[in-house]
Amino acid sequence: MTIDRWLSRIPIDSPSAFMKQVPTIVGFAFAAAIAAVPNGVPITDGAEFVAGIVLVVIASVLSFAVPWRRLNPEWVVVVPTLSLLAVGLLRLATGSSASPFVVLTLLPFVWIASEEGRINILIASLGTFIVLLAPLLVDGGARSAGDVVRAFFSPVIYLIVAVVINEIAHRMRIQLQKAHEAAQQQETLLAQAVAAQDELVLNEARLKTANRLIQSIWNAVTEQSVIGTDLDGLIDVWNPGAEKMLGLTEKQVVDGKHHVIDFHLPEEIDQRLQAMDARFTTVSSIESFSALVDTVRAGSADVRDWTYVRPDGKRVAVQVAATPRLDENGHRVGFIFVATDMTQAREFARLKDEFVGLISHELRTPLSSILGYLELMRDDEESPLSDEQLQYLGVAERNAHRLLRLVGDLLFTAQVESGRFPLDITDVELGGVVSASVESATPVAANAGVTLVRDVPEKPLVVRGDTLRLGQAVDNLVSNALKFTPSGGTVTVSLRAEGDHAVIAVADTGIGIPAVELSQLSQRFFRASTATRNAVPGVGLGLTITKAIVTAHGGRLDIASEEGVGTSISIVLPVETPQPVTEAIPRVEVAP
Amino acid sequence: MSDAGSRGKRVVIADDDDDIRGLMTIAANRAGVDIVAAVDNGRAALDAVRSGDVDLAVLDISMPGLNGIEVAEAIRADEQTKGTLILMVSASVQLLTTHGVVADRSDSFIVKPFSPRVLSTRIREMLDLEAPA
Repeated sequence: MTIDRWLSRIPIDSPSAFMKQVPTIVGFAFAAAIAAVPNGVPITDGAEFVAGIVLVVIASVLSFAVPWRRLNPEWVVVVPTLSLLAVGLLRLATGSSASPFVVLTLLPFVWIASEEGRINILIASLGTFIVLLAPLLVDGGARSAGDVVRAFFSPVIYLIVAVVINEIAHRMRIQLQKAHEAAQQQETLLAQAVAAQDELVLNEARLKTANRLIQSIWNAVTEQSVIGTDLDGLIDVWNPGAEKMLGLTEKQVVDGKHHVIDFHLPEEIDQRLQAMDARFTTVSSIESFSALVDTVRAGSADVRDWTYVRPDGKRVAVQVAATPRLDENGHRVGFIFVATDMTQAREFARLKDEFVGLISHELRTPLSSILGYLELMRDDEESPLSDEQLQYLGVAERNAHRLLRLVGDLLFTAQVESGRFPLDITDVELGGVVSASVESATPVAANAGVTLVRDVPEKPLVVRGDTLRLGQAVDNLVSNALKFTPSGGTVTVSLRAEGDHAVIAVADTGIGIPAVELSQLSQRFFRASTATRNAVPGVGLGLTITKAIVTAHGGRLDIASEEGVGTSISIVLPVETPQPVTEAIPRVEVAP
Repeated sequence: MSDAGSRGKRVVIADDDDDIRGLMTIAANRAGVDIVAAVDNGRAALDAVRSGDVDLAVLDISMPGLNGIEVAEAIRADEQTKGTLILMVSASVQLLTTHGVVADRSDSFIVKPFSPRVLSTRIREMLDLEAPA
């Protein structure tokens, strides 16, 4: 270990007591070595010499062995004070005033004087005074006037030096303390800066990850076009899906000149503006962009079918969802248009329509023959049928009609799904509709042993609607109720006015429907578990159709049921003019 | 027949389904009309209407060659035949409704499956014939 490295291990601000004692130990060792040289410094009193050495050894052992920092640190001055006394003894033993070792006084003196506290100035000065004055006291008088002056002059100088050392040490300690505090503060600031830097790095990494995710999603959306605009419709966002759908790159479109309206079919925009003008007289038709965002400006998202026009003139049938674009404060700063290409979906719908039409035709044609020829047989007056033959014929006719109804239901369901739901709106007297349903169901009820009750008020109750469809809805409910009611039960068909609504309720005392299945009842082809368990015939279209009819009339279907007790289904219709879902179609003559 | 003294009402029937055509023929016979032709395609129906003084054409819409609507248009377009009444028949409600043209190009229409009794009555009504005794 080099001296430098060894010295560097010594704490500058607070060396241990032993480290402070080391110079004194070295000084005494040096003095002892000199005293041991023959004819060197004469040892006048061997006992005092040994006592001095023993005392400095004790002081050194104490400096090393006593844990001064844990005890009261102020007591450490005991060590240099003992050393000072040892110097006094050494001086007495080596020629008193003439001793060359008086200079050793400096070592413990400086230590004592530099300790914190003014009391140490006194201890250092007093100790030095004793050391310097001892020869006079021991020898019994001054040898010369110079000795006396030196004996008293030197301690005064030592006192001054002690004051200076103490003050310098005190100030240095304060400075050191301040330096410590500053260093600590710096360290804290540095730690904070490092933490902030780490946080920054972490946030940056998170931001990059989020950006990469958004970018990946953005690039992955290739089947929908996403177009963002400012409040006036000027395009500033154009995703890869828009590139693919409309054949222009982001660079070509986001140039501050392209307007989203440029990609719309002008006729459709005009049509929409006209419709808006019809509804809201305040809408100005000069601003074409309103046609796209009128609903969004009013505060709700808008999903609508439009036709996009590519620069090459090709048209794309799309469904566009328009939503507001908000800034960090929630203020609207533009609009987002997400468009889905509906070409395939519409083609599929068209093919489905064609298919349904074909199936309808192909099934109805043989049924026409079956029912027509059965009727001819029944009406043959020249060779009338026997009762038994008539009964067989009835079975065949009933089943042919059942098949026909099923075809009709399937066709109707397809029409509902494709959104082409024809209604022939007239004034409908509901009492008549209910009575007709009850009347036509009476033979079935009688066969099943079920009592069919009609409860209709005398006062006519009129709504606007399609008589045939409403009749079909009530027929479905009555037919269901009869199917699900065991012999001996009752089915009640009632009509009543409730405020602005007319309510047709069909209540039975049948097998009921489990509560958990109630919400699925109007789904296509759904059949209640009680229906399948009890082998009640049906395919699960009746309620779907009934609900569609009632909904198209602006009404609702209320269903209440308890398993084993019965079911009550109510058609609730507004007594006002409903908006037909689609345009009315020409009346069709239907064979009975 | 009620209008004894005058000639019988002349009717052309067209449907590509043999059985249905047979049913139509029976119904028309029961209405007491003369059946000029009962054919299975639109072209033959149009020829039959043009060939003689025909009062009523009962036309199925879905037929090979010319369909019922095209035959009706041709009958209406021809000065000589435009007075012929047209009764359109189809198994497809959709065809009857979505085309819209049916109402304009025919005097009446009826949906399959039809009752022979109802068809018979409709023919008589259109031709102002009384029910047979």
